[in-house]
Amino acid sequence: MNRLSFAALALSLVVGGTARADSVIILNSEEASYSILSRSTRTEVARLPVGREPHHLILSPDGKEVLIGSTATNELLSLDVKTGERKRVIKDILDPYHLGFSPDGKWFVTAAYRLDHVDIYHADGFKLAGRIFIDGLPSHIAFDAESKTVFVTLQQSGRLAAFDLATQALKWNVPVGNAPAGVVMLPDNKRLLVALTGEDNIVVVDPKDGAVKSSLQTGKGAHNFFPKGDGRHYFLSNRVEGTVSLIDTKDEPKVVGSVRIPGGPDCMDITPDGRELWVTQRFLRRVAIVDIDIMKLVGSIPVGKSPHGVFMMKSTANVTAGAPVRAASTAGEIK
Amino acid sequence: MRDLIDLWVGAQAWLFETLVSPILFKYGLMAWYEPGYSAVEFVMLGVVQIAVIAIGMRFFERRWPLEKAGEDDKLIMVDRVYTMLNKLGVIPLAIFILTYPLVQEIELTVRTWGYMPPRLERLLPWIGDNALVSFLVYFVLYDFAAYWLHRGQHAFGWWWALHSLHHSQRRMTVWTDDRNHVIDDLIITLALVLFSQFVGVQPGEYVVILMVGRLIESWSHANVDMSFGWLGERLLVSPRFHRLHHALSTPTERHIQDHNFAPVFPIWDILFGTAIYDEKIRPTGVDDATVDADNGRGWIAQQATVFGRFVRALLPRFSRRASAQ
Repeated sequence: MNRLSFAALALSLVVGGTARADSVIILNSEEASYSILSRSTRTEVARLPVGREPHHLILSPDGKEVLIGSTATNELLSLDVKTGERKRVIKDILDPYHLGFSPDGKWFVTAAYRLDHVDIYHADGFKLAGRIFIDGLPSHIAFDAESKTVFVTLQQSGRLAAFDLATQALKWNVPVGNAPAGVVMLPDNKRLLVALTGEDNIVVVDPKDGAVKSSLQTGKGAHNFFPKGDGRHYFLSNRVEGTVSLIDTKDEPKVVGSVRIPGGPDCMDITPDGRELWVTQRFLRRVAIVDIDIMKLVGSIPVGKSPHGVFMMKSTANVTAGAPVRAASTAGEIK
Repeated sequence: MRDLIDLWVGAQAWLFETLVSPILFKYGLMAWYEPGYSAVEFVMLGVVQIAVIAIGMRFFERRWPLEKAGEDDKLIMVDRVYTMLNKLGVIPLAIFILTYPLVQEIELTVRTWGYMPPRLERLLPWIGDNALVSFLVYFVLYDFAAYWLHRGQHAFGWWWALHSLHHSQRRMTVWTDDRNHVIDDLIITLALVLFSQFVGVQPGEYVVILMVGRLIESWSHANVDMSFGWLGERLLVSPRFHRLHHALSTPTERHIQDHNFAPVFPIWDILFGTAIYDEKIRPTGVDDATVDADNGRGWIAQQATVFGRFVRALLPRFSRRASAQ
């Protein structure tokens, strides 16, 4: 039995037909597997092999597939968003650490963290348009609303770079702080938030020229963002401090809430009802569940080694073709 | 089982967040955050290995010793130092820092050329379906590579100059496995890391392979009078099997150390004609007064002396000049 059919069988047997939209996928980056969790029972229902060193995953622009970046095997592994069944393997995507589709769905971009390059592909057919070698551990990516520019944090060199998607030319490359990681474009399309993992704050950056406009203290090891879904609030994981901050971005960004999440909190996703935030705890081999209304840790589910990317399998009603898309586990729907 | 995992990762996270993370954060080394966390696990596994050796394996050595306690017992002390330095990560950390940029550069260059390493899962997709099978397959491959590296240590003069330190121990015990020159450790580590990347060993798997393999190798050096039986001796390297490899050569057994190279699985020696089996008990060491003089030296003196041997083997002209003086 191959892995495709095993994944499908495991899901159909364990999760059950109507409960598939109830599933959550977690990538166990150091044991080459992904866990399938049940939201309702808060348990791991299956653990299946996947590539090598999987870190991030993303929904395809048509909303039909979840693409997992298998960094060490240089490929994307596709799961059916409804059934969890493996659909296909897209080969020759080098070191796909962080990945994202442009909002118009035409471009697919990967940050090759270990190999120091940013790859821009035509999303249709995953044909490489340009490979840009750039020093400094390209880490996370975000797009502007017009799908003209991709922004990439360079964790080692402490910079943020912008590339024109159509020409793959560098627009600017500026220092923003120590170890920038997560980056997100705010709905006004005029402000980028960049998390500084080597510091205890985030910075607000002008997407036109990379100028740092302001900064906001959050917690040590500010790392990754996830939108609350109201077009205004964003969650931020602070890896060193072991907290998740809630940031209000309406005017000048400010911290309006915080919750302690031990074990190096990293990627996040929200349940379809918007009530729970699920956070991977890299060091504890667990996924934390936060009650968003009261910003309190209410549960923690054991998974595999070094859990990184997290993805909620939502009902198809929430996923429509052509809808705005996001970068893996970072930026939510642009409203 | 989950409770045990929680206890383990809880301790690992506490050690990391208390001792390592603040240093990485303070000195702007956050790119080493994940490797730093793995390093803590490496040290913890080292402590476990030391405990297994000191408590478990030493029990057998005390209970069923092959060579009885004697004058040479004091020679064992330096091997304990080697084990501590290796298992607690001091030497591996130095090697990692030295080799990491090179390994990265090789991988980057290879990928830049558009060459994709033939990962094993691409050839045999079923391997990825079962964690245990996957581990065993990679373990066997790793051991195969280690077998040929070991043959290389005996085949080349410059390499033997380094490796002879390992063989010079006259009082072989469970502590002897780690008795190696740091340059020898560096060469072996670099070769095995590159090999592992080439065939697709996962970092998490590599640590387990390393730990299980090194524990078996520690045991194969044990001073115990114990046989695994006819079949067992052909499935897994035993202390009796490996002791033949360390046997002191004699005029009638001049090349006895050119046998039983396998670190874990004797099948390699059987397949390539280097296996020998017999019951005769022989003393260990090297029939060379220069090498034998390693006994009685401390860690620093051994490292310095063997480095000199290595340079002289590498540069014969320097050797002649040195001899003339």
